[in-house]
Amino acid sequence: MHIVDGALANPVVIGGAVLAAGGIAMGLRSLTLEKIPAAGVLSASFFVASLIHVPIGPSSVHLILNGLAGLVLGWAAFPALFVGLLLQAVFFGFGGLTVLGINTLNIALPAVLSGLMLGPLIARSSPVTGAVWAGIGGAFAIGATTLMVAASLMLSGDEFVPAAQFVFVAHIPVMVIEALLTAAAVYLARQVKPDLFNALQGARP
Amino acid sequence: MMRALIVTLVLLMPLPAFAHNVIASVFPSGSAIEGEIGFSNGEMATGQVVEVFDQTGTKLGETVTDGDGFFLYTPTAPVTHVFRANLGAGHVAEMAMPADEVAAILGVAAPEAAQPATALAGPAAGQLAAASLTQEERQAIAEIVRTEMRPLRQEITAYRNHNDLQTILGGIGYIAGLFGLGFYLAARRRLAA
Repeated sequence: MHIVDGALANPVVIGGAVLAAGGIAMGLRSLTLEKIPAAGVLSASFFVASLIHVPIGPSSVHLILNGLAGLVLGWAAFPALFVGLLLQAVFFGFGGLTVLGINTLNIALPAVLSGLMLGPLIARSSPVTGAVWAGIGGAFAIGATTLMVAASLMLSGDEFVPAAQFVFVAHIPVMVIEALLTAAAVYLARQVKPDLFNALQGARP
Repeated sequence: MMRALIVTLVLLMPLPAFAHNVIASVFPSGSAIEGEIGFSNGEMATGQVVEVFDQTGTKLGETVTDGDGFFLYTPTAPVTHVFRANLGAGHVAEMAMPADEVAAILGVAAPEAAQPATALAGPAAGQLAAASLTQEERQAIAEIVRTEMRPLRQEITAYRNHNDLQTILGGIGYIAGLFGLGFYLAARRRLAA
């Protein structure tokens, strides 16, 4: 999921950085006082989630948790995921510093999309239905991220269809796990702190 | 249709698509350049095509990695060699060997250091020490040293990419600090307002 330094053409890297900067600016504007602790916690979970390898078949996958961040934070997922990616690049050498922008865009934009589409639905519906929507949001964020990774590779000269198939198929298990995890997390949050979603949605400018 | 899907899945699953980082290095190995390509999770890239370019991007040739992710390439000209492998899904390995190292492998001086005519006169200084040994002996020793070094090299690479608890806690600490700072600034702005 992390594209490494040198894999992409320069225009793609620069374009990604510009768009990611725009997203971060949007996110910082919507990052209200109430949202900052949640953003920090989700940023930390994103940072650590990549280290949790779940063995599936002959390979292993790692979690991304961008859907959950998007559902809770909306646009504020951009700065939260950016911080997580930056520290992953610095501490673990995942991805790289020059591709930070495009990686942020690829991971945070699907998160924001799922948050904008499903966030209001979750806030309105009952906890169980909300959990189902959250699961869909979690899977959607991963799926969209794989497509964006494939699109970035295509813009750099790779063939889109094989690249997309490769990344998408490889992440089907991740989508399933993330859907369950996101659904469980949202359900739990609704049970123990029912006002989390309403409060954060209300805090959105 | 279903069978085709399963076949695709089986074909795609073993690929290290989730590995994070590509690790690659090249080093002189007798009269050839040896290199290895692998992923930060310890898996090696097997059967991977490695393309070889010179400094200006002209393709010099290509080689394929063996079962342990190692490849051999015999250089023919003392120019900078750039090795590039596309492992798919955004993973690209690129490593370079500077012209003087390639020249040392070939036993000629680097082109910028001396004229080719004089360069051919004698082997590089580093090889003079082993002059009393025959070519076969030298190669046998080199082979043994290489085999002995392999596990060490792999262990060092694995260690370099090992994430221990301290690193993880450090990262979480940074996140807490950053968001704490943001919280402080936001709170101060609100109090001032």
